[in-house]
Amino acid sequence: MDKADLMQQELLLDVKGLKKYFPVQSGLLRRTVGTVRAVDGVDLFVRKGETLGLVGESGCGKTTAGRTILRLLQPTAGEIRFNDPKLGWVNLEQMSRQELAAVRPNMQIIFQDPFSSLNPRMTVERIIAEPLVINKVAKGQELKDRVADLLRVVGMRPEYMSRYPHAFSGGQRQRIGIARALALNPKLIICDEPVSALDVSIQAQVLNLLEDLQAQFDLTYIFIAHDLSVVEHISDRVAVMYVGQIVELASTDELYYTPKHPYTEALMAAVPKPDPRRRDRPIKLPGEVASPVNPPSGCYFHPRCRYAREVCSKEAPAFREITPLHYARCHFADELKLRGVVG
Amino acid sequence: MANQAQSPATTRDLVVRVRDLHVYFFTDLGVSRALNGVSLDIPAGKVTGVVGESGCGKSVTALSIMRLVPHPGRITKGEILLYREREKQNGHSIVEEVNLTDLDPQGPVIRSIRGAELAMIFQEPMTSLNPSYTIGDQIMEAILLHQKCTRKEAEERAVDILARAGMPNPKTVVRRYPHELSGGMRQRAMIAMALSCTPSVLFADEPTTALDVTTEAQILDLMRELQAAMGMAIVFITHNLGVVAQMCDTVAVMYLGRIVEQAPVEPLFYEPQHPYTRALLRSIPHVGSRTKARLEPIRGVVPDPYATIQGCPFHPRCDYRKPGVCDVRVPATVEVGESHTVRCFLYTEQGEDNG
Repeated sequence: MDKADLMQQELLLDVKGLKKYFPVQSGLLRRTVGTVRAVDGVDLFVRKGETLGLVGESGCGKTTAGRTILRLLQPTAGEIRFNDPKLGWVNLEQMSRQELAAVRPNMQIIFQDPFSSLNPRMTVERIIAEPLVINKVAKGQELKDRVADLLRVVGMRPEYMSRYPHAFSGGQRQRIGIARALALNPKLIICDEPVSALDVSIQAQVLNLLEDLQAQFDLTYIFIAHDLSVVEHISDRVAVMYVGQIVELASTDELYYTPKHPYTEALMAAVPKPDPRRRDRPIKLPGEVASPVNPPSGCYFHPRCRYAREVCSKEAPAFREITPLHYARCHFADELKLRGVVG
Repeated sequence: MANQAQSPATTRDLVVRVRDLHVYFFTDLGVSRALNGVSLDIPAGKVTGVVGESGCGKSVTALSIMRLVPHPGRITKGEILLYREREKQNGHSIVEEVNLTDLDPQGPVIRSIRGAELAMIFQEPMTSLNPSYTIGDQIMEAILLHQKCTRKEAEERAVDILARAGMPNPKTVVRRYPHELSGGMRQRAMIAMALSCTPSVLFADEPTTALDVTTEAQILDLMRELQAAMGMAIVFITHNLGVVAQMCDTVAVMYLGRIVEQAPVEPLFYEPQHPYTRALLRSIPHVGSRTKARLEPIRGVVPDPYATIQGCPFHPRCDYRKPGVCDVRVPATVEVGESHTVRCFLYTEQGEDNG
């Protein structure tokens, strides 16, 4: 699907003001002494058939955001609206377990570590069949045929279905995890760092497979990763997270070449480019990522921002549209001239 | 000290020379041939990159030079020479050659070299720092072992080297425990520890792989600065081609226990010769390339380390393989440009039998 078509597509997911706080407990009585604001007000929407990249450094809340969207974690606040093919628009945050069971087949997840996300005591057949059995989609020979089809779809031989996960390499295990996610013909798949545990030569195989499957089955991806070159390659739009908030969201090209948030600029400068003739010095970010337990006043990024002015430490900037469909959370997003990934 | 030949040289271009190194691991499951004839020169004061995928032998190469190959691994063939600068009384220094392969890995000679001449930093600083000692104690351990000084002087040096490693508040940090520091700060502490005795070679084994991209950039910048100021050689082991392009002067590409191509960094990226190097460069997404072209993966998988592959180890995945040649013999290393060597039958007819 080319970009113009994508812009016309209707929405599949609309998230507003999503928050997920975890209590910090301490002492003998496990008293709550603080709150980790893992996801602290996330707004995003996803169109049908697109790939939304979600990037940020470890601890910024990207995995928690993904899991809260799927209601694998109970949100603290906010709205998660999902456009179910049968039920129409539903508010996931209000649904009970029983109600969710009807929507869940349409929302799946692929995990980072293909070694811990497959049960070592189950055969590949049982792993992939499990969602089909739980949802009573198929049984007997039909079930077996469906598993064989799924294995073929992800580029593996059906003969392998009686083997256990340990018999496979990392890339093959990731394919098994993808087959399991595809079993129920989902609409939305959250890919949580799906290639970061794989060798470089295997990463490309899995990325190509994900792209092929998207075209073949009309899938929508939220692609969570920290590798900015992988995210640039696979995403139509990209959201950058910092301390539980999205600080910038735009089409991949705009975000990479004309960023509007100083944190995005620093991230782009930090990527080690595989070109020895382009040895640019990174933008020095002083200090460390702010703590989500005790975030700074005003803009969370201001203590490390080289463009920070007085207002930045006092007022939290709003997440607003700077140019059409290019959102940023910065007081000076309109005036700053920031460098992109080549600049 | 046996096996030390004094060479007449007074300066050294090379600090380490590895020749035809074989390291095998004799396990219950069979023999894993981790290194299958590695030859590598480490020039003084330069950054040498060693790239390859997991299991190709990058880390084992560094550990072998340090003589730290873990059980049940053994150096079965080849030699490792260290060129050591020794100061004479009249102020002139001489270079002596030490054959590291002849040394007892637990003996006094290697222990005087390890930590002092050859130092190493690892991927995950939390597992390489001792959680029950302070940062200061761990840095001072090496200083007290290799240099004649008092505890007080050692502590001053520890504070000094931490400051050079960009550690904020080094005077407080020496009294801190590893768990009290963030990942980036722990890596700075590791670098400080490794550099405390001004080694001539620093082996950096994936030092930034566990770090976030902005922290990674800070650490790479720091290593560049310290390398320029202290002049040691760095052997930079990584699978990240971006890091290699940014950091290294020369690069060795490894595949299954062999160096398949070695070249200065620019020719390696702009005129790669070995099919594996070319395929590797094509398979990664290039940030800022503005293309949505499909990636070209390398087909197949990295073979099992216990498998013995007849012929060139890359031939089962290679697009240019010549039947009857590549699957029979191992190609010899040939020079294809200035300081640019490659091991492939596209460039030579010479090879050796294996099996």
